[in-house]
Amino acid sequence: MSRIINTLLIGISGGSIYSLMSLALVLVWRSTRVVNFAQAGQAILSTYIGYVVVTHTDNYWLAFPVALLSGALIGALVDIFLIRILARRANSGPVAAIAPVIATLGLLGLIRAIVGMIWGGDLRRFKLPVTNHGFTFGHTTIPFAPINLLIVVTTVIVMLIFSVIFQRTNLGLALRASAFSPEIARLAGVRVDLTRTIGWAFAGAAGAIAGVLVTPTNYLSPNSLDLLLVSGFVAAVIGGLESLIGAAVGGLVLGISLAFVLEYISSSLAFPVAFVVLMAVLLIKPAGLFGGKRVRSA
Amino acid sequence: MLKRKPAAQVQIDMDKNIARRKIVGATFFMFLGIALFIASNIVDELRVYQGATVAVYVVAISSIILLTGYSGQISLGHGALMAIGAYAAVLSRNYWNFPIPLTFAVAVLAAALFGALLGMAAGRLSGPYLAGTTLALAVGLPSLANQFKILGGEEGLTYDVGFPPLSLGQDFTQYKWFFWIAALAALAITWVIFNILGSRYGRQWRALRSNPTAAALLGVHVARSKVLAFTISSGIAGLAGALMSMTISLVTPSAFPLSLSFAIVTGAVLAGVTLLTGSIVGAVVLVAIPEVTAALATHLGGSEKVTSNLPGLMMSTLLILSVLFFPNGPQLHRRKTRKS
Amino acid sequence: MFALRRTKRGVLASATLAVSALALSAIPAQAFSVHAETGVTATQIKLGITIPLTGSAAPGYSKIPSAMQAYFNYVNDNGGVYGRKISLVVKDDAYLPTLAVAKTNELILKDKVFAVVGALGTANNKAVAKSVNLGRRGIPDLFLNTGYSGFADAKKYPTTFSLFPSYIMEAKIMGQYIKENFAGKKLGLIYQDDDFGTDALVGFKQAGVKFDVSVPYASGSQSAQSAQGWIGKLKAAGAEVVVMFGVTTASGAALATAAAMAYKAQWILGSVGGDATTLKAVGVPAYVLTGAMGASFLPAPTDTTDEYVKFFQGINTKYNGDAVFDNNVLVAMNTAMMTVQALRAGGKNLTHASVMSALENSGSSFASASLSPINYASGVHVGYSGYWFGTYNSAGELKPNGGAYSVYTTDSGAGAIVKSTFKRPALPANGLPTN
Repeated sequence: MSRIINTLLIGISGGSIYSLMSLALVLVWRSTRVVNFAQAGQAILSTYIGYVVVTHTDNYWLAFPVALLSGALIGALVDIFLIRILARRANSGPVAAIAPVIATLGLLGLIRAIVGMIWGGDLRRFKLPVTNHGFTFGHTTIPFAPINLLIVVTTVIVMLIFSVIFQRTNLGLALRASAFSPEIARLAGVRVDLTRTIGWAFAGAAGAIAGVLVTPTNYLSPNSLDLLLVSGFVAAVIGGLESLIGAAVGGLVLGISLAFVLEYISSSLAFPVAFVVLMAVLLIKPAGLFGGKRVRSA
Repeated sequence: MLKRKPAAQVQIDMDKNIARRKIVGATFFMFLGIALFIASNIVDELRVYQGATVAVYVVAISSIILLTGYSGQISLGHGALMAIGAYAAVLSRNYWNFPIPLTFAVAVLAAALFGALLGMAAGRLSGPYLAGTTLALAVGLPSLANQFKILGGEEGLTYDVGFPPLSLGQDFTQYKWFFWIAALAALAITWVIFNILGSRYGRQWRALRSNPTAAALLGVHVARSKVLAFTISSGIAGLAGALMSMTISLVTPSAFPLSLSFAIVTGAVLAGVTLLTGSIVGAVVLVAIPEVTAALATHLGGSEKVTSNLPGLMMSTLLILSVLFFPNGPQLHRRKTRKS
Repeated sequence: MFALRRTKRGVLASATLAVSALALSAIPAQAFSVHAETGVTATQIKLGITIPLTGSAAPGYSKIPSAMQAYFNYVNDNGGVYGRKISLVVKDDAYLPTLAVAKTNELILKDKVFAVVGALGTANNKAVAKSVNLGRRGIPDLFLNTGYSGFADAKKYPTTFSLFPSYIMEAKIMGQYIKENFAGKKLGLIYQDDDFGTDALVGFKQAGVKFDVSVPYASGSQSAQSAQGWIGKLKAAGAEVVVMFGVTTASGAALATAAAMAYKAQWILGSVGGDATTLKAVGVPAYVLTGAMGASFLPAPTDTTDEYVKFFQGINTKYNGDAVFDNNVLVAMNTAMMTVQALRAGGKNLTHASVMSALENSGSSFASASLSPINYASGVHVGYSGYWFGTYNSAGELKPNGGAYSVYTTDSGAGAIVKSTFKRPALPANGLPTN
């Protein structure tokens, strides 16, 4: 029984990180109908910026907001200087569907190369904000540690903040309106372009948070968030790409399934599991767990 | 007033037209083959090897062009389908000692079969959902090779197409042999795709691509048509995988990374994803860019951190610029301007 | 350009050629001038290497080429090899076999290097050996950076000389050590689920060691999260001694997680994942590493009492921009020193054949930092064959168990594991080989 609970906790902690990355992808998808492969690149750049702050000030709590803000800024810049131009130029023909994929893949490579040029390919460590020593009950220490708790709690807070923004504020209304129907939103006086850029900035911040949360327990290198991108995307698709709840649930479904397969079936099946989970969900619900039918054919 | 031709006459004219185009096409391919043959005798061995790689990419890129450019589906997992083709070919070679052409056929069939299953499962998906599924496949599938002893694990299985026949002469190098096989396969597959695209199915795909609803109303079976495109595209990718393994003489999971799937999609976009003949442009660019940028990196100098990342930087920049300025490929862009 | 000659005439011709080459090699080289070998001029010897400089395998390994070039530059500043300066052409293969083949082709056909030195990775080297066919071209493929046992086959890979002991040897010696020191304890194993780990399984089986629990992991899947799963399994099975046969990022994750989960066991790290400097870089605190055991064939890079290490550290400061001196730098410089000796042994009239026959004839006497003997001989292309065991102290330095290095050697087959009596040649004066 304790084994099941432990596995569940590991899965929730890992899944939280996927949820954050998935949230970033969903925010961009909702605002501009683009699957942003550069999200991993934006996150790694923000994380490196956070790394610089940590090494200079030895203070994780200062690095966290710096990374978050630079993530938001990078996201906004990507929208203004790449996606807007792309939307104007590549808006028709068979390529229109894949042009954003290609452009953001290119951007991912570009950011990785720049990061490599500045910081090199060496592995870097990142100071732990809180201990990674598991909680102890009597004589047993469980795998779940304060750092995992921090990851889960931060994810919950981020999700709540975004829910409030989307459901309770004018900005949220504008964001939802521009995602639902840009034309009508524009007629209603919403500054659609600005609203979309804000969506990109939010996404950039969410990705950066994922980066600075996952890095202390691992290590930092120009490629260290690549797999997170794949997991985040799979989680987003599982969740249906449209809803914040979907992103959160998708991440948890993936994280928990992964933890259970690695624990009970085989610890070397890490990569195929994501595919199997995704196929299983999509065969039952082709538009993901929280996606509508309209969305799928859009 | 113009005299209208009877319908039967129109039909005959059309048939004649198609027949004439086919003859012209076939002649073109033959001349291309002869030109390649002559070229392979002039250039040095490195270029011959790179030519073989270009031919492999031509096959891989055409599979994406058929899928994305014509049937409007997206795949980020064609690297995994290439792996299936490669493993099928090498297993049929190593365990049953199949002759080389047959191993290629096995590669096509195995990948097509898998593609059909995947296409049926993913047939209901489109856009990002399909992209996500294929992406997960690209990451998940190759690592499975480490789970089964028969697949040789990370150290891989040797794929040996043997030495060139003696009748070709003593100076006929191994790479020239690879090039001949790959170039012949590329020509043949391009010819086959041309014909498929000109057939009823090709027209259905184009109809689907431009307007799925209208196509469905006209009686095109949307799902079946998409699965068919995915199946054929997968088979071609399987062939590309077998050819690629031939050029490196090895089948190993690490030869099919996620970056391979991305690379062939990139090549297809650089080629202009709607034009089959563009595949050669995309393939040449994929092979040439790393060499050009590496040469430039050496020329410019700088610290190793900078020079080792320069090729990646320039490749990515080129990719972004080409999507921004020639979203539908250089060819289509030109054609459009000519028309207007 | 190489061609395939399989006619009888061709065989006859090459046989005649071989015989006359043998006859000619008996004549002193100065007696006549021959056509210079590819990659060798009066002033230069051009070597090539393919290695990951970018991509997920780059961390650590990307330091190797510059460290090799640093030692070459030192030798070049001191007269080079018979007046010829060594240059190293470096190609990034991103750890992909397709790129390794393409880049090696560039090295051989475009840059026209004399030999390939220190190429990294099992699959990459296997693909290169077969597709580029260095053997048929007669191009030396020296001191591979892999412990895959397959390259020992000198018939299949006639120009390939591997340097490192194989993973099978490492596992056999480790197995023996465990049997002698930890008899009756519950044993656990974490291994990478590819050529690297499966070679290790062969070695442990050969040594007769049975693990009570073994945890495979897929290459690239290691993370704090997956390590929690590994440790959970080891803990549940009550393993008291755990062998870690994985890359450094995996052993780092395992050690850090074990400490976090308050799981205490005697850790034994394989040589690949046991570099203390890298472990520190991936976030393993020193106290976690303290008391763990490790195996190596080189002295610890932190052992400044070792004359080779001390010398290489000096080169690192002067010629390598004072990079962090870790196992990768040590391996690179040691490989470079071996290369210089091989080139010297090839003689003033340097040819592919002269280097390879010199390696077979006198390679076993080369000066090298390794504490294991070098086994090169006619038809034997495997260099080192031994390991020593040590324990990490509180400063993260690997200190030999029992105070002095005691090396055990074996082979990749059923051969016995014996305590080595090898005495390492002293460092040549100023670190400049005079062989």
